[in-house]
Amino acid sequence: MTLIAHELRLLLRVRMAVLTLLLVALLSIAAVVAGMAEVARQRDVIARIQPKQAQDIASIAAWVDKSKDAGSAAYYSFHATWDAPAPLAFAALGLRDVAPYILRVRSLGLEAQLYDGEAFNPELALPGRFDFAFVLVYLTPLFVIALFHDLVSGEREAGRLRMLDAIAGSGRHLWARRVLLRGGLLFAALAVPLAIGAILSHVTGLALLAVLSLIALYLAFWISLTLLIGRLRWTSVANAATLAGLWLVLTLILPTVAHVAINQAIPVGQGVELTLAQREAVNRAWDIPREDTMRAFYANHPEWKDSPPLNAAFHYKWYLAFHQLGDESVAGKVAAYRHGIETRDAAAHDIGWLLPSVGVQSVLARLANTDMQAQLAYQDRIRAFHKQLRNFYYGYLFTDKPFGKVDFDKAPMFAG
Amino acid sequence: MSTVTLIASDELRLMRRNRVAVVAFALLVLLTLAAALISWAHQQSITETRARFQSQAAEEFEAQPDRHPHRMVHFGNFIFRPLGPLATFDSGVDAFTGNSMFLEGHRQNSANFGDVRQSSLLVRFGQLTPAFVLQVIAPLLLIFLGYGAVARERELGSLRQMLAQGVSGRALVMGKLLALGVVAALVGLPTMIAFLLIAGQPGALAGPMLVIALGYAAYLTLWAIIVILVSALVRRGRDALLALLALWTALVILLPRVAPDVATQAHALPTRLETDIAIAHDLHKLGDSHNPDDPFFKAFKEKTLRQYGVTRVEDLPVNYKGLLGMEGEKLTSGLFDDYADRSFAIQAAQSRMTDGFGIVSPAISLRQLSMAAAGTDLAGHRRFMTQAEAYRYDMVQRLNRLQADSVSYANDTAGDVGADQRKRISAGHWHDIPQFRFQPASAADLVKASLPGLSLLLAWLIIAALALLPVARHLQKARP
Repeated sequence: MTLIAHELRLLLRVRMAVLTLLLVALLSIAAVVAGMAEVARQRDVIARIQPKQAQDIASIAAWVDKSKDAGSAAYYSFHATWDAPAPLAFAALGLRDVAPYILRVRSLGLEAQLYDGEAFNPELALPGRFDFAFVLVYLTPLFVIALFHDLVSGEREAGRLRMLDAIAGSGRHLWARRVLLRGGLLFAALAVPLAIGAILSHVTGLALLAVLSLIALYLAFWISLTLLIGRLRWTSVANAATLAGLWLVLTLILPTVAHVAINQAIPVGQGVELTLAQREAVNRAWDIPREDTMRAFYANHPEWKDSPPLNAAFHYKWYLAFHQLGDESVAGKVAAYRHGIETRDAAAHDIGWLLPSVGVQSVLARLANTDMQAQLAYQDRIRAFHKQLRNFYYGYLFTDKPFGKVDFDKAPMFAG
Repeated sequence: MSTVTLIASDELRLMRRNRVAVVAFALLVLLTLAAALISWAHQQSITETRARFQSQAAEEFEAQPDRHPHRMVHFGNFIFRPLGPLATFDSGVDAFTGNSMFLEGHRQNSANFGDVRQSSLLVRFGQLTPAFVLQVIAPLLLIFLGYGAVARERELGSLRQMLAQGVSGRALVMGKLLALGVVAALVGLPTMIAFLLIAGQPGALAGPMLVIALGYAAYLTLWAIIVILVSALVRRGRDALLALLALWTALVILLPRVAPDVATQAHALPTRLETDIAIAHDLHKLGDSHNPDDPFFKAFKEKTLRQYGVTRVEDLPVNYKGLLGMEGEKLTSGLFDDYADRSFAIQAAQSRMTDGFGIVSPAISLRQLSMAAAGTDLAGHRRFMTQAEAYRYDMVQRLNRLQADSVSYANDTAGDVGADQRKRISAGHWHDIPQFRFQPASAADLVKASLPGLSLLLAWLIIAALALLPVARHLQKARP
């Protein structure tokens, strides 16, 4: 213990080491604070929309109540869905700045609504966000290099190496102590702010443990790499230059090359194609006998087939039926599009095994529930909710049940 | 040969002998070429895909059967944002914005299917374009090759020797800078080759390309100066390297990420949901089309009847429902423009704020200049959105006009069995609706938009160059 304390005193005398550690702690704190502020802002936005949404529905209810027409209610009522940030989202904001976390849907064709985007400034999204994942993935390796590149070579250049090696019983233990001390302090500088943020955000113990292990593993990788280069017995400056070059290749160049490779290798049947096809299918209904549409709809949804037949007047049940048929006609394309995105995502995860930078980023975003999988899961929840909406309105339309003011309150609510 | 060139050629010879330096340099050149080729192929394929979708959408629009014009208002049209030739060099925000839009009546949709939402998370690691290589990686190479330029001489003791032999501190600094400047020029060279590829394409504009070339030259020169400055000020080569790496990390990696966070918190953007609700609310206040006694629509009706000198809508020579549609679209569209202006004003304020960080980070200024000149910045996206809305309005109003002129009011309001057929007009009309053509920005506009970044960068360059003078004097003091 006294030996460690001694080493600590030695380390604290090196101005650059102290500065580096302070800087890491400062950046880690700043990233956690910035991430938590962003997550709080997103939560506020989600809370803020609820009364506005209720007001919007109330004004629709006011005039629909006069006609009691369920079709108008279904057509004009937009229902809010939202994707509340997970507790750990502050650590890795992931895709939450470019993909919507609020989306309004109505009981018309879903495929024409599901891919709508949120209003955001793309220039702000371009460089990526300043969050803990960024500090960990990009900056931490540089600090590791700063702290470890001259661990041995520095002593050699100072002319102390032979003496240190000669002291009986030191040898390996000395270096192990120094590595553990520096690594431990670096870990603490990163982990303490994160852990405090996580506890304040009610992250589960297991998730926190996973993140802490991830930090430790990533640190271990870069420390090992630095020590490995150190074994080549080059000068401190050659070590630093080589390591910075490795960092450049591993965190900046190879991920961008991999991105190009993945997108080339796995073409995504463009989402545009499916929306174009869905539009054709939906609009064609106006040009074919309405009975054909209803027959096709009842074949897929026999639970409504006892509904009274259409007469010459417009009826919303036909309108909603062809919208649903339009969605169903592109189900294959939808599945293919999604499969393409999932395959790309999976490929990126696989690359994470080769590139630690990518691996850490993707695991962290997964734990934080801010990655592509989280986006797709949100889409699934919207789909399920939309299904509920359809069934709710169909219950009125296909039985010609009047839809009054009170019925608006019976509409399914999205469970955030 | 003057002392300056002598020192420069000596430094370059040393670099040539340094195998690591040569390999690093060669790798960077290869990377730039690879980035240019990949980016070019990517841009070609995007252009091809979007053009194909655009013509498919146009064909589908024109292939629609005889219909009631309002059905076409809802069938709508898809448009796609084409990429300018300079996007090969700097793709800017293209991957982050939707590039297709569905245009229909009464609604303003978002631009959808941007790359960022259908790619893996790797897209957030950056795009491999020549701009990325020059902005981010080239300064690192200059650091690696130049950190020891002066510091090494000091460490080895040759600095004192040279000064004792009468070499002035200024000549030494200029010589070292010249050598690093040559490296910087060589680093920029492959990009010029990429530029030749781009210049051959239709729509390539000389002015913006010149600004880009100038901007990047200034940026790389600036880094060469910074490297020499630090190398001359710091006692040991290793300290110079670490200081430069720290500086590079702060200026190129850290600040560009911190700036957007500050801007997001400072200027909050309303969500689409809130905007949609606000528009619906405003529309309701202007006039309630569901209320037969609404004062606005009542006044509109009376005005129309007076204009044609009739007393009943049935007696109008045109279809009143078509006129009503036009009036309604005018109202909603006015609100759309209004809210879009507000949203873009907030976004512009955010961008101005991040650009302001260019005062502390030349990388931010360069990025602004580069995207603005390439037409791939927020303004470029807005140009598309604005033209899309103008086109949408025009298309919808043409269809409403067709309803007013070519569908009679009696048929339009009839509900009998044959009415559906009588409401339809010939499909030939769809051909008369012009297709969307994106008007790219003029060279003058692009150059003008890139000036803030360029002037900040030049200011940096001048300040850095002036800082060389005291540093050279400081070196002189090392003379024995």
